[in-house]
Parts: sequence; structure tokens; C-alpha cells
Amino acid sequence: MKQGFLRAMTWLHTWLGLVLGFVLMAAFFFGALSVFDREIDRWAIPETRFDPQPMPSFDTVLQPVYAQLKPHPDDMVATQKRVLGPLPHPDTMPMSSLWAYTTHRDPVLRVGAEFDVPNKLKDDADEHAHVHGWATIDPRSGEFLQDDKLKIGSEWYYPMHYRLNWSWLNLGYWLVGLAGFTMLVALVTGVIMHCKIFREFFTFRPWKRTRRSALDLHNLTGVAALPFHFFFAFTGLVIFAGWLYFPVGDTLLKPLHKQHEVQEAQRTGLPHEPAGVAAPLASVDAMVAEAKRRWAARDMPGEVGLLTINHLGDANGYVSLYRAGSDQVALVGQAIHFKASTGEVLREEPPPGAVGSINEFLTGLHLQHFEHWLLRWLYVLGGLLGCVCIATGFLLFVEKRKKQHAAAGSQGSRLVDALAVTTVTGMLIAAIGMLVANRLLPADLVGKGDWEKLAFWGIWSVALLHALVRSGPVAQARMNPAWREQCWGIAVLAVAAVGLNWLTTGDHLIETMIGEPYWAVAGVDLSLLTSAGIAAWAARRLARWEQAPATPMAAEVAHG
Amino acid sequence: MADALALCLAALFSLAGMGWLALSLEVHWRQLFGRRAVLTAIIKSGLRLAGWTALLLSAVCCFIADRPSMAVLVWVMLLAGAATAIALLLAWRAHWLRVLVLRGGA
Repeated sequence: MKQGFLRAMTWLHTWLGLVLGFVLMAAFFFGALSVFDREIDRWAIPETRFDPQPMPSFDTVLQPVYAQLKPHPDDMVATQKRVLGPLPHPDTMPMSSLWAYTTHRDPVLRVGAEFDVPNKLKDDADEHAHVHGWATIDPRSGEFLQDDKLKIGSEWYYPMHYRLNWSWLNLGYWLVGLAGFTMLVALVTGVIMHCKIFREFFTFRPWKRTRRSALDLHNLTGVAALPFHFFFAFTGLVIFAGWLYFPVGDTLLKPLHKQHEVQEAQRTGLPHEPAGVAAPLASVDAMVAEAKRRWAARDMPGEVGLLTINHLGDANGYVSLYRAGSDQVALVGQAIHFKASTGEVLREEPPPGAVGSINEFLTGLHLQHFEHWLLRWLYVLGGLLGCVCIATGFLLFVEKRKKQHAAAGSQGSRLVDALAVTTVTGMLIAAIGMLVANRLLPADLVGKGDWEKLAFWGIWSVALLHALVRSGPVAQARMNPAWREQCWGIAVLAVAAVGLNWLTTGDHLIETMIGEPYWAVAGVDLSLLTSAGIAAWAARRLARWEQAPATPMAAEVAHG
Repeated sequence: MADALALCLAALFSLAGMGWLALSLEVHWRQLFGRRAVLTAIIKSGLRLAGWTALLLSAVCCFIADRPSMAVLVWVMLLAGAATAIALLLAWRAHWLRVLVLRGGA
């Protein structure tokens, strides 16, 4: 009975882990990079290498910005598909609401707005008669930044983490969610299979056979960071669950949800609908000052993280100011709402209840907007431990089977091994190769971001091809030389990226660390150099293993 | 500054704590002091006590440095990092851990 149960758990762990491990690997790796997404943005867009800025003055800086903000051409195209008849010219659409968002790590400011559309919608259930506009500005001057510059950290690595940059049918989201669920299953089954958790808690024996040392490392990285793995898979699912998996508020319970919204509006005093009467906008800066005064009075002084205005230019318009969550796990909060036309306080949100606090804590610990550099690095470590855990899982799968497969003439482990090379070293090559492409492509190239994306997928495909072409030895129960060769690839590309950053921007490490410290760029450079070092070390070790396919028994005996 | 100091202490305590807990396991004790070294029951329980106390102190330091919600996260992650670091040290530089028990090797 117990044997059967254990075998079932092992089967589940092995096959779920293998099938979704590839997705999971991407989620962990790009998640680890996303911890420093804003810093990677600075590296990739040199003209934004200046210090983080607080929310600028609305009255003097932002108001002219919103006056120039127009519906985005991409969203015009998307909206046109949902409405009857042609949309009016974007310049004539009235702006109905706006937002501006920043964190303690953002030099640039993201702004956006909704524009009303007069057209009827094709689908009755669709109530979203808006076109969106968005832009990134320099908050010191209010200048618009070039729109086609890809923020590689926050607009490529970060979405890669939660939806694989695959928007078709939201499949990317679903795959990552499924992988997150798999992670939970793999953790539970893994703990059940691993009967010596405490006795082997600190065990790693690199001198033993590949299979034994890989299993050690698999267990070590899985168990030592177990709370991290568990909570990140779990909170990731919590974040998704609210709007993607169970959007009951928008589907099944829609009438109830609408009614709730109206009641909510009555309770909070924040108007749900515009009044239809035009009204001017009072000084928003005065409202910001009042909000800061109130936060300070509650013993939680802070900056504005999110600013929104609803029903713009209407008598029912209101301004909402959310405090930035730099000093807490929860994201933005402590909102204070003002009547837009007079500046009087409509509502000061009370602290959330127990359930709300737990939800805020869980999502906040995953989305990490707090200011705590040590914890950020520890998160990177946790993510990378997860990557090692998955990668060694692939190795174990292959090591366990390749001798039998070789004897039977099967190509199974050969294929899995090639895919593992592609997801482990190939993914690193693609990510770093994208940074190299970013520095090689001319700054004023039209659609530079699209070229960078193409480079990312192109380089990754080459890595896949390379892994497949070189996979022959696995079918003879030996090691795929692609592991070693791609490690050298990582080392070369990472050093090249640092060198190119120096050549094209003049920001070398001595400058960014000592001369005029700018740790966002120095941190990316240092991380690249560290990766290069580790990759080169790994490549040399792999070379030794390749030359001696049979494990040196002598060494094993010597170490006991 | 005081926060940074508290966090450094928290990291040190968690490293030392994980180190002592590792040494309270016979395999690792022998790794340091030779195959025939004996881990007596007294030393073993002493190491356990020291280990858990250090981990607790590490938590205290975290709570001094940050507000509770943040401190919990920092502490849990420090433990993960410390456990990994000790395992890697045991694999490649085991003798460094002798400093934890102030004792020469066999």
C-alpha cells in the first residue's frame, strides 16, 4: 500500500515536473530578473539613467502632459474591432479619466488616460466604451519619451514571467498558472518522496556520481527554499485567481457585481456616474499636500504612488491619491479621495479588515513594491534556487533513463536533454543576447523594440537548434556537449554586454560604482560579469566530466 | 544605519545557527573532524540548542530592523540563503565551519 502510494507520487512528480518544468523554469528565471526590472530598464534605455523621482506637480508638470496625451494607435485599432462604425479622429475624443503611477525605483513616470468613444459597441455585454492612451514621461520636465523604446525589464522580462509574452487566447497566463499549480503539486509530492528531509538537509556531494550529486542539489534547493517556492507559487495563483481564473464578478455574478458597485458608490460617496454638468478642476497640488498631511497625521508619512482622476471635467469628478507602498509589504494604499472641482475631501479610506490585509500581504509579498534591497536580492536568490531545482530535475530525468534508452535505441532522453539545454542555458543566452542586441542596434532605429524582441526569439531558436544538433552523444548515454558550449556562449555574451554598455554609453563599472555611483546600471553589469564567471567555471567542469564519462570512483572513495 | 547593522547581525546569526544545526548531524560532524570522530550526546544537544537560539536571535534582529510584516519575509529568506550557503560550504570548504566550534580538525 505504502509502496504503491510512493510510486504514484513519484510518477506524478516526474511527469508533471517534466511537462510543465519548462514553463516553470521560464517563470522562475524571468521572475528573478523581474525583481530588478526597473534597473534593467535603465541599462537598456541609457537616456533614462537618472535618479528616481517623486510624483511631480500635477498643476505645473502633469496638466500640460495630459493636454498632449492622445489615444494610443494600438488601442485605436483594438477598439475599432469592438465598435460599430468608424471611430472619430483621436484628437477629438474627450478624456474621461486619467492616472499616473510611480514607485521609489522609477526615474520615469508612467501616465495614461481613458477617452470616451461615442460609437455603439458590437457586444451588448461589453461596457467598455473607451480607448486608452499611455506614455512615459520625464517627470523633471514633462517631456515625452520615445514610445518605441522597449523597457526590456518591465515590458519584456516581467511579462515573460507571468504570461510568456504569449497573448493569444491568454494562453501564456493559463500555462504559467498551470505551472504554478504544478509547482505546488511537485513540492508536496517531492516532500513525500524525499524521506530524509532533516537528515539530508545540508547534504550536497558534488564529488559523487552525476545522478547522486544532481539529486542532492535538487533536494537542497527545493527544501532550503521551500517556503519561498510554496508562497510564490501560491501567491502567484492568488493574484491570477482574482481576475483571470474566477472572474465571477464580470460573468456569472455580473448583475450582482453591478449592483454592488452602485451600492459601494453610495456608501463611499464616490460618484459612480458622471453628472453631465461641466466643472473645472481645482488645484491637485493642494490636494496632494492635504493627503500628505493626513498620512503624516496617521503616523505613516509618504509620497503619492498612484494618482487617478475619474469623471474628468464633470461636476461628479473626483481625484484619488494612493500612498506609495515603499515601507510596507502591501502595495499602494491609504487612499484619500477629493472632489475634483473644489478639493474637499470626499473620503479617507479606513485601514483594510482582516481578509483585506491578508490579501494585500499575499499579493504584496509577490509583487514587491517595497524598498528593501536585501530582501530584493534574497528574492533573486530564491528564484535562482528554484531554477537550479528545476534544472537538476531535468538532469535527473535524463540521467535515470539515458543508459536504458541508449540500450533500447530510444531517442526519448536525447530529446528531453536537448529541451533542457534550451530552457536552462538557452534561456540565459536569449536574455543576455537581447541586451547585447540592445546595445548593438542604433539608438534611433525605428521600431527598435521589435528588433530586440526578434533578437530574443531568434537567439533562443538558435540555441534550440544547437542543442538538438549536438545531442547525438546522449543517445549513447554520454553528455550533450551543447551544455558546455552554451555555457561558453553565456560567458562570452555577458562580457560582451558589459563591454558594449561601456563603449556605447561611457558608463563603465568604475564610473557607475565609484565615480558617479549609479547602482542600477552597476548592478546589472556586475550581475552579468558574475554570470559570466559562473558560466565559465561550469563550462570547465563540464569539460572534465565529458572527458571522463565514467565517474572517477577513486575520488568518491577518497571523500567518503 | 542601525537597521543595516541589525540586518547584518540577522544574517550572521542565521548563518551560524544553520552551521551549528548542520554540525549536530553526525555526517557533517565527521566531515569536519574525521571519520572516527564521535559526536557525543551532550555536544549534539548543545549544538542543537545553540543553533535554534541563533536562528531565534536572527528573527529578533529582523524584527528590530523592519516592521513585522516585512521582517517575517526577510527572516524566512535569510534562512533559505543561510541553509544553502552552509550546504555549499560543507561541500567545498568544510573546514571553514570549524570556526563555529573553535576546534582544530583531526
